[in-house]
Amino acid sequence: MKFAHMADAHIGSWREPKLKEASLQAFMKAVNICFEENVDFILISGDLFNTSLPVIDQLKEVVKKLKQIKEKNILVYVIPGSHDFSPSGKTMLDVLENAGLLINVVKGKVDEETGKLILNFSINEKTGAKITGMLGKKGMLEKKFYESLNTDNLEQEEGFKIFMFHTSLTELKPKDLAEMDSAPISLLPKGFNYYAGGHVHIIRKEKIEGYGLIVYPGPLFPNNFKEIEELKHGGFYIWDEGKIEYYGIPLYNVVSIIVDCHHKSPQEVRKELLTKMDNLDENNLNKTIITLRLRGVLRDGKITDIALNEIIERLYEKGVYFVMKNTTKLTTKEFEEVKLSLEKSHDTEDALIKEHLSKSNMSEFLVNVIGSNEGNNNCDDDSISEEKFDENEFIKEIMNTLDLEKQEGERIIDFEQRIKENIKKKIDL
Amino acid sequence: MLQTYDLLYGSQLSQTNLELMSGMKLEQNSSLEFMDKELRNYTLVVAKNLMTVEQNRISKSLPNFFSDIRMLDEDDLKLLHSSNLKNPLFIGMLRSGSKIINYDLCIDGEKALAEHILISSSTGKGKSNLTSCILWSNLDKDYSGIIVLDPHDEYYGRNHLGLKDHPCNKIKNQVIYYSKNPIPGTISLKINLKAVKPSHLNGVISLTDAQHEALIAFHRKYQENWISAILKEEKIEGFHETTLIVIKRKLSNLLDVKFVGDSIICQGIFDITAGETTVNDICKEVEKNKTIIIDTSNISSGMEILVGSLISSEILNKYKRYKTQGLLRDKPVVSIVIEEAPRVLGKEVLEKGQNIFSTIAREGRKFKVGLIGITQLPSLIPRTILANMNTKIILGMEMGVERRAIIESASQDLSDDDKNIASLDKGEAIVTSNFLRFATPIKIPFFEDVIKKELNKKEFNHEMPNSDLKEKVIKQNFIGVNGG
Repeated sequence: MKFAHMADAHIGSWREPKLKEASLQAFMKAVNICFEENVDFILISGDLFNTSLPVIDQLKEVVKKLKQIKEKNILVYVIPGSHDFSPSGKTMLDVLENAGLLINVVKGKVDEETGKLILNFSINEKTGAKITGMLGKKGMLEKKFYESLNTDNLEQEEGFKIFMFHTSLTELKPKDLAEMDSAPISLLPKGFNYYAGGHVHIIRKEKIEGYGLIVYPGPLFPNNFKEIEELKHGGFYIWDEGKIEYYGIPLYNVVSIIVDCHHKSPQEVRKELLTKMDNLDENNLNKTIITLRLRGVLRDGKITDIALNEIIERLYEKGVYFVMKNTTKLTTKEFEEVKLSLEKSHDTEDALIKEHLSKSNMSEFLVNVIGSNEGNNNCDDDSISEEKFDENEFIKEIMNTLDLEKQEGERIIDFEQRIKENIKKKIDL
Repeated sequence: MLQTYDLLYGSQLSQTNLELMSGMKLEQNSSLEFMDKELRNYTLVVAKNLMTVEQNRISKSLPNFFSDIRMLDEDDLKLLHSSNLKNPLFIGMLRSGSKIINYDLCIDGEKALAEHILISSSTGKGKSNLTSCILWSNLDKDYSGIIVLDPHDEYYGRNHLGLKDHPCNKIKNQVIYYSKNPIPGTISLKINLKAVKPSHLNGVISLTDAQHEALIAFHRKYQENWISAILKEEKIEGFHETTLIVIKRKLSNLLDVKFVGDSIICQGIFDITAGETTVNDICKEVEKNKTIIIDTSNISSGMEILVGSLISSEILNKYKRYKTQGLLRDKPVVSIVIEEAPRVLGKEVLEKGQNIFSTIAREGRKFKVGLIGITQLPSLIPRTILANMNTKIILGMEMGVERRAIIESASQDLSDDDKNIASLDKGEAIVTSNFLRFATPIKIPFFEDVIKKELNKKEFNHEMPNSDLKEKVIKQNFIGVNGG
């Protein structure tokens, strides 16, 4: 018996087209490996798609691939995950199952006497493997399912048994996901040979007393900045007569650049970044994703002084496939020193504005930002510096403009346009 | 208010005459009787002065001769202030002799738990029953979280009634149970090796200075992977080979792990991959006022203490940080229940060096972290620690040396109560506490009765009102499970 276990493909998750395509390609490549390895069947432990109703373009490609799998007489067993499950029942997985392209193994009934949930096995005729599983829901709502699960029939069943789940297990949770909702292993039925997990994006296999092998294959393609930075690529497991092997899917090289900006000036950070950029391996840059993570408290100046966008632009000029930046943990000393104890929000806003105005020159800002705005500049340096206006009021007006809410029935694109127009009017003075 | 603590014979006749007359009645004349026997012979009640009721203060003078005497009534009990407490901790029912008074004795739980509680008695006098009652009554309170190291697996109620049956647990999941052999819905006790630091081993295993230094050196060099490094016999400068072999053996035995081939095999609760968040999860839950029961019945005593040490250190450090950040006031008090307390607080153990439990005993109250120590042998605990345990619940104790240890460190004067303590029946106790006006006799209810009484209350009956609704709820609950 040989089977593949994958999870968390999250097809359609990335906004950036390049990465959106990558998650689809990862799935395609994983299936191709399954073909090469001649697996008997494929398990997908939830979140094949990032939503219950994925967009047509990507769905079309997945359906083509599922059809190829079917033609090779390989069955695909799935469970709905927290992303592609729908409480209304309107999920694409149902459509695909009705089309005979996959089998949702979460099947069973409720014993109306006891209120207990009784799951059935789906039996793979080629190998005799007995597969069942539990769907995943957002916010760990599947925990109630587990609590009501009748485990007796599942545990008493003989043969090679696989339990698919899309749940974070308390005992196997990694440290950096400590805050994630989880359920204890004891909720899973005991005595299965293989527990095919999903949901937690970690690569882990663990043997727990009373249970068989509990496996998380991680995502098929990293699903966020941190995962790209740490995992570099996704992958899945293939189980072959008791031996289990991880197959990575390295679609791109990933170079992670982390700069500790603590006590450094923006210029020093910029210099460090440029040096690291110069040291990049020039080969295969068109197949390289670069992650830039800047963290710490700058000694002086502003974050914008680093001119990170310009550096990213240079990287693209060098031919890098995709560049990602993360500055969520980067701040400046000037901003850190603002300490307030005001209760009302507008008081807090006023105080924050005043505090920052005392540390920066708004007129200079206007010259730098608006003055460089090509084709839309009707004022010169002198006119700005001579202009007398209430900086505090100006900032508040800008904030109010940005605070507008989308009207009912208004399209997002129209809403964005409206905001842009309003801002333009304000800044044009 | 007076408390009687002894009864004596009294007589207007001399002892010689009494003996003579009693002997004659026994041996010769059965009709012999005292003249005016009611006047000449009587029972003397020895009482001590507890407090002056009218002034509501400790009494410093004796009542006058011919003062009226009456039994305690309900109005008098108001003086105990039990029912007005903001954070009551139930200890037991008030008792007068063997008579149980229908009055729940409570103390200020937030303060009492932070300032440590000692539960002491001989075997079979009801320590576990008392602890169960305290834990039960504390489950629906929001001022405290409790961690219980349970070497007899008796509190959760795995196969019988226990804390799991508390209505609060069913609604709010107030009891979290960790076990090496978990039952469905409870958590498998797994702790990652990376969570262990050399300081956690203080009081757990005995180490020579050289061995202790070697552990620290490994930790410094290999950080959180220091145990793996020792097991894999990684190199470290400046230590004799024998020292390294011994620490490897000691750690391997303690943690139930071994290095085979190129991998570390974990057979017990300590694991190389699992359990990364266990300690953090426990701390998080206890901060939500929950009761965490750690079943240590299937692990060695050393491992149990190590688990307790890991969790206690983490909690104390967290609470120290809260104090620095000014957040401590909003945090619940945390209490750690340790059975056989001298294992970690005994003189012999502490002579070899301080451990986290002795640190908590000394300074925990400043950070709202306390201990509930349970022991048959309080005399093994140093007086300095006993004196820090501000509430003592004393059940029956036959051994004089143990009684004296308690009496000498009690919050109130128990010098006249030696015989009383010796004769306490099962479930009877005397409580001395900084949070009580005087040492108070109590009777602890039988835990199973407490549970049954609670479960019979109608408000916790969650039966579905009719079968149609039940069916509807069931169907709604399992959306996503296809028939097949």
